[in-house]
Amino acid sequence: MGEVIVITSGKGGVGKTTATANIGTGLAELGYKVVVVDADIGLRNLDVVMGLENRIVYDIVDIVKNVCRLKQGLIKDKRYSELYLLPAAQTKDKSAVTIEQMQKLTLELKENFDYVLIDCPAGIEQGFKNAIAGADRAIVVTTPEISAVRDADRIIGLLEASEIRNPILIINRIRIDMVKRGDMMDIDDMIDILAIDLLGVIPDDEAIVISANKGEPVVANQTALAGQAFKNITRRIIGENVPFINMESEEGFMSKLKKIFGLAK
Amino acid sequence: MVRENIIEFKGTKNGILIYIKPQQDFEIIKQQLIDKIEKAKYFFKGAKIFDIHCDTLTAEQKKELEVFMATRYKIYVLNQDERDILNKSEQMETVFTGITEGKTKFVQGTIRSGQNINYDGNVVILGDVNPGAHITAYGNIIVMGSLRGVAHAGSNGNRDACVAAFYLDPTQLRISDVITRAPDGHYEKPKIPELAKVKGNMVYIEPYLNRK
Repeated sequence: MGEVIVITSGKGGVGKTTATANIGTGLAELGYKVVVVDADIGLRNLDVVMGLENRIVYDIVDIVKNVCRLKQGLIKDKRYSELYLLPAAQTKDKSAVTIEQMQKLTLELKENFDYVLIDCPAGIEQGFKNAIAGADRAIVVTTPEISAVRDADRIIGLLEASEIRNPILIINRIRIDMVKRGDMMDIDDMIDILAIDLLGVIPDDEAIVISANKGEPVVANQTALAGQAFKNITRRIIGENVPFINMESEEGFMSKLKKIFGLAK
Repeated sequence: MVRENIIEFKGTKNGILIYIKPQQDFEIIKQQLIDKIEKAKYFFKGAKIFDIHCDTLTAEQKKELEVFMATRYKIYVLNQDERDILNKSEQMETVFTGITEGKTKFVQGTIRSGQNINYDGNVVILGDVNPGAHITAYGNIIVMGSLRGVAHAGSNGNRDACVAAFYLDPTQLRISDVITRAPDGHYEKPKIPELAKVKGNMVYIEPYLNRK
């Protein structure tokens, strides 16, 4: 019996889909059998980020409506044979699936996979309720912006109300240089407000944009710092104790470079 | 001629209130009152009339209506003393006075954005109150953590109510009818536990521990 993890945030554009694709890929790389489910019906993206858009025949609505069998709707990843995608429908809306149907679906997926990752849509309406319906655990993604943290706080409250206790936090798109200058919220401030455990911190990295456009999750990129951060996150999900990347050292490298060019004191 | 409706009945906790439009002829008022009571005789039999409200009715006219209702329809009309007692007890009920010793609600856990706590007494939060959360209490609000949301103490009129927190940095602070908010831009964040109280028409925030 596997585990269902919903990846949610409240606010849009903070990196739920990117996180889902990368964690899914990362877990598959570690040898687990993984399915990533796109619950954002009507605005599907996960297939695009994973580069599997052209393989879609059936979608989640077809499966819950019994138009096809579960096996037919699952799309196998390009690189990892144990990674599957269950795409959202693009021409329907969130009301096309009910909470009961989602619970039944996740239960069925749980029996066949080690990890079921659900990419939650933004907002707190039907789509969100569907996405969390069958979840055992939740990962809350936020960025170091007041609005994103506020929404994350609201989401944590709603998750707790739905009996999903102890969600864990990913802070995405952090820029250590800005934090140091005091222009960006720092990690401790965010954890102080949200009062939940930290799963990982992803630096703001252009490699994310590049890899998303190519349809290859950044976690496969050995050199990108963001890829390394996602790799650590996946290892923490399976229960390993991985120390946080010291982004200071990266900063140290940068300042060394600056010193060479005579820019820093 | 279509007769205008000049009399209205309103049910309240203390009895029925009769509203009569001002500037009307007394005979018309009397006639319409009879008509209205006739229509619902059984409802009014033994009913309790709290008061008659009309700006232009003289005391004698009001008395006449009261006596008339009491004798003809066996309607019980409260006298002035009874009204005063009821009015007073209502006021006692509305303003919560148990701020030094009174009923208190204890809430354990973090109160997050979108969550509300309402209570007709004092409230103690064993946790943080995050931005976007609302705490409303008739009495004091004590936060054993950080208060970053909105707190409204003495919400039904007690200006002596206070708000205290280990870290008092609310979005907005209301005590009774006095409202304050955090200053715009950068301001010094609290370092020690603080207490907010109303003095005059202002909310004052100060440490409540004498030693540093």
